[in-house]
Amino acid sequence: MFLEQLLNGITLGSTYALIALGYTMVYGIIQLINFAHGEVYMIGAFVGLFLVAMGANIFLALLGAMLFCMLLGMTIERVAYRPLRGKSSRLSALISAIGVSIFLSTLMALLAQTNTRSYPEVISNRTFNLGSLELSVLQISILAVAAILMIGLQLMIQHTRLGKAMRASSQDLDASYLMGINVNRIISATFAIGSALAAAGGVMVGVYYHAVWPYMGMMAGLKAFAAAILGGIGSIPGAMVGGITLGVLEIMGVAYISPSYKDAIAFGILIIVLLIRPQGLFGKKIVKKV
Amino acid sequence: MRFKNKVRWALLLSLVLLVTMVVGCGNKQDSEEVIKLGFLGAKTGDVANYGIPGEKGMKMAIDELNAQGGILGKKVEGIYEDNKGDSKEINLIAQKYITRDKVVAMVGDPCTGLTKVAADIAQKNQVVIFSAGATGAGVVEIGNYVFRNTMLDTVAVPVVVDWMLKDKHWKKAAIITSIDNGYSTALTPIFKEELKKQGATIVLEDTIKDKETDFSAQITKLKGANADVLVFTGYYTEAALIMKEAQKQGLNISLIGGDGLYGQDLAKLGGDAVEEKVILYCGFSTDQPSPETAKFLENYRKKYNEEPDMFSAQYYDAVMILAQAMEATGSSDPKVFKDELAKVKNYPGVSGQTSFRADREPIKSPVFLLTIKDGAFALVDKIPVKTE
Repeated sequence: MFLEQLLNGITLGSTYALIALGYTMVYGIIQLINFAHGEVYMIGAFVGLFLVAMGANIFLALLGAMLFCMLLGMTIERVAYRPLRGKSSRLSALISAIGVSIFLSTLMALLAQTNTRSYPEVISNRTFNLGSLELSVLQISILAVAAILMIGLQLMIQHTRLGKAMRASSQDLDASYLMGINVNRIISATFAIGSALAAAGGVMVGVYYHAVWPYMGMMAGLKAFAAAILGGIGSIPGAMVGGITLGVLEIMGVAYISPSYKDAIAFGILIIVLLIRPQGLFGKKIVKKV
Repeated sequence: MRFKNKVRWALLLSLVLLVTMVVGCGNKQDSEEVIKLGFLGAKTGDVANYGIPGEKGMKMAIDELNAQGGILGKKVEGIYEDNKGDSKEINLIAQKYITRDKVVAMVGDPCTGLTKVAADIAQKNQVVIFSAGATGAGVVEIGNYVFRNTMLDTVAVPVVVDWMLKDKHWKKAAIITSIDNGYSTALTPIFKEELKKQGATIVLEDTIKDKETDFSAQITKLKGANADVLVFTGYYTEAALIMKEAQKQGLNISLIGGDGLYGQDLAKLGGDAVEEKVILYCGFSTDQPSPETAKFLENYRKKYNEEPDMFSAQYYDAVMILAQAMEATGSSDPKVFKDELAKVKNYPGVSGQTSFRADREPIKSPVFLLTIKDGAFALVDKIPVKTE
């Protein structure tokens, strides 16, 4: 039973991690909490659902949703954040982000109505036993897709020119600009990648938990944001570990303490971690230079 | 030029005012010629599944009444606002119905919490409110203008538990409550008390929250509890997701609950995970209809080209019972016909028989047990209820 609960937690956590990556990447480069990120995840889930309903294969639908949200993320950045960058305070960009979030969720509520929709069964529910552990094909597919995406991201960041430019930009935006890096393009790419990961998370949640509705981005966004902070905002491995930790904590809280305190337990532990390590699990300590 | 424009605007404005005044007066005269009924229910939002069919049932009843010459020779007019399942909205709508539209009665809301909000306003203004779905406690206690036409949980649960134990031999029950859902937290104690009274054991008590989607931990716990049946007291969305999760974890168990599970989305969301697994009790079924119900079914299908549900039937009956009370007293004044309403006994409605007890609480018979078969609600059993 404990192992099964642990697996439930890791599955839930891996979806948090995928969303948390987008928060942490954007924050790492432009120090903006992109509050519209949860809505990108929601729209990803809807695009996937739409494609599946049109008869597309689930992996095709996943790719389609990721591609669509890539464009959406870049558009949001272009329309709502770039005009403000450098000209006004960071707070204005934050307010703009909240505006985009409200706009997208209400737009979807108008287009798709507010009742919960469900993905058809696209991946088999067949379960098999591994020792005392009961695994389903669905659970393994979810974990595999999440793992592939995260490993892919890590390789991209560490071994490509784009990744290098992103790392440089996150260290010092102005210096990178002076070194000839097209900073605007890097920021755009960051939004695109983060949004694609969120869309993947959305489709996976839709397939796994069978529930998609226009306001789903709100809570998921908040949880993922907490996961990003738990891992150390700005740190990519931090977001992965933070997401999975949060998922496991939540499930264990429900299983062994009380479902009523699910969110309280998760956020309570978040507060404790931050009290002990304000920079998060993987965050770097910032030394202010005088 | 500018001055001239201003004069023109002023003239236009006064003309508009004049027209609205004349039209306004016209409306007032009309209100004595027609009997107005206000619809309470959500047409959009989370509980629209209850309100939309309700509106259709109410419209159909009013059309039929008008085809037969209306009530007391007056035309009946329904007014249909969308309260979105929101207590602030229903507050405004109830005020509007009473002060502006001058309705004699409001029909609805299907939800207990919202009905209470509107009932407070109705009682204060001496207008009848006739809920077609509120099952929770403390509704008719608000006052003598407040009625409801629905199967009460306190009436149905003893019958259902008896069926669970005697027909199904489900002796070990697990109960899941949705703790931020008022309907669910009210229904759970009724089930618990009755299960204990009739000798069943409760092997697990657990909770969820509405709008959550991950129930994996609860289901894993449930797997270890070795229960014969799961009693879930919440709404259809969560019920469907719980059954999906059970299927995913390979747990084969039946889920039983109240008419909060009665929404078309149950089958749509749940798919084969809810097929013949979810059982709910309610006051209406299209299977094995009584003569009244059969006629209603035929007309409803003809009019809307779809199947009616419990809410369309209860709204329909509520309008018809109101009409009967007004005809019997010869008055459309709520102060007069409300007393006649309280005396209704064994009214043969399309949603079963309705009687009011001395405390104005309805007793509806029979209790229908439904399940999902081939993606639609289907009758499992039909159990009559004794009326005192």
